Amino acid sequence: MGCCERLSSILLGAAMLACGAPALAESWFGDQGKLLLTAGFSTVEGAGGGGLTPWALITGYGSRDSWGANTYVTGIGLRDFDFSAVGVGIGIRDRVELSFSRQQLEGTDGPLDRISVSQEVIGAKLRIFGDAVYAQDSWAPQVAIGALVKHNRGIRDGGRSGAPDLVSVTQLGASDEDDIDYYASATKIWLAQGLLVNATVRYTRANQFGLLGFGGDRDDDATIQGEATLAYLLQRKIAIGVEYRTRDRHLGVDDESAAWDAFVAWTPNRHISILAAYANLGSIAAPLTGQTADQAGAYLSAQLGF
Amino acid sequence: MKLRVTTCAMLLLCISAHAEEPLFFRIGGEAKLKAAVDELVVVMLADERINFVFAQTELTRFKHLLYTQLCELAGGPCIYDGRDMRTAHAKLPIANAHFNALTEDLYIAFDRVGVSYALQNQMIALLAPMQRDIVKR
Repeated sequence: MGCCERLSSILLGAAMLACGAPALAESWFGDQGKLLLTAGFSTVEGAGGGGLTPWALITGYGSRDSWGANTYVTGIGLRDFDFSAVGVGIGIRDRVELSFSRQQLEGTDGPLDRISVSQEVIGAKLRIFGDAVYAQDSWAPQVAIGALVKHNRGIRDGGRSGAPDLVSVTQLGASDEDDIDYYASATKIWLAQGLLVNATVRYTRANQFGLLGFGGDRDDDATIQGEATLAYLLQRKIAIGVEYRTRDRHLGVDDESAAWDAFVAWTPNRHISILAAYANLGSIAAPLTGQTADQAGAYLSAQLGF
Repeated sequence: MKLRVTTCAMLLLCISAHAEEPLFFRIGGEAKLKAAVDELVVVMLADERINFVFAQTELTRFKHLLYTQLCELAGGPCIYDGRDMRTAHAKLPIANAHFNALTEDLYIAFDRVGVSYALQNQMIALLAPMQRDIVKR
């Protein structure tokens, strides 16, 4: 582009602004052009989706002409652990999504009291084809692929003397502290029925999302896992739903199983979403805690975005 | 066994036949749909995001066109006699955000005249594919 062309386009832009051209809300916080609830939420891993499962929807309320973002704080009070996650996701032109999140799992009683593990996740998602919202005359879903690049930050003992020498998940039998989950999601909103359906396949080697590292002494291979969300649009601002996510076992000291949740999401406006759920993550590190009961409890997430 | 299957099939037919009553009548017919269109015009003209689009619009004609269009789409006894959506919006610089703003206003209008959310969604589902013809960029 020559300097004259550039200058003329700048002048044209300035002229449009000066004339109050109907360039819709081209402010720094995007056009917020999506319909309420159709931006989805931030999952515990940072990617846009439900609570535990990423959807093909791009996070934030920016339309394809703009951008949006969503930040979140999520806590799950499990039987013997506290799970917490914070993060941010950015959606660009309703096409690309980038996210960052940090999660922590901390023992609240028993042998793992006050012992915590944490990890960081950088996510990228690309919408491939389809439109979950407008294509109401078609069965085709919106489809996206994504990657979650995970880095385990190790074990920290905040307690008296529980396990002073335990610093890395590799000491628990995990093969690696870093790995990547790859996934593909298909999401369809059947507006006439008020349904949102999502199916995700994930290629992963993570133990408990990666909080207990990747691969392990029992089985070291990555596997394909399936995840699903079924949600009902109860009101214009309220959705209810269930999610299910299969998971594999790699560690001798963990008997990981499928996770599921049942949620209520309230989105009073494009800036706020509150999710309340019952989440069941199955057993976590039962051979260490001596507690084989399901680790389940209240899931609460507060999300701010535009 | 055969009898049971037949009974089941007949029951299903009855249920689906019942559900087949056109959306137009389930919404509440002409009175309700006209009230919703009137309300939509009030809401959209107050909506800073999109009201400039309707600055030159002849509202009586607009209401008639929108009513007959919704009525016909919903299986009511009307024939939409306006231009197709692509032609009608050809000169308007409509973006996704505008389209969705109007959709949102329609939800609000339906709310105000007392159409249930489930029926609103059935109506919106019939309109959503028009995004392809209406939105320019």
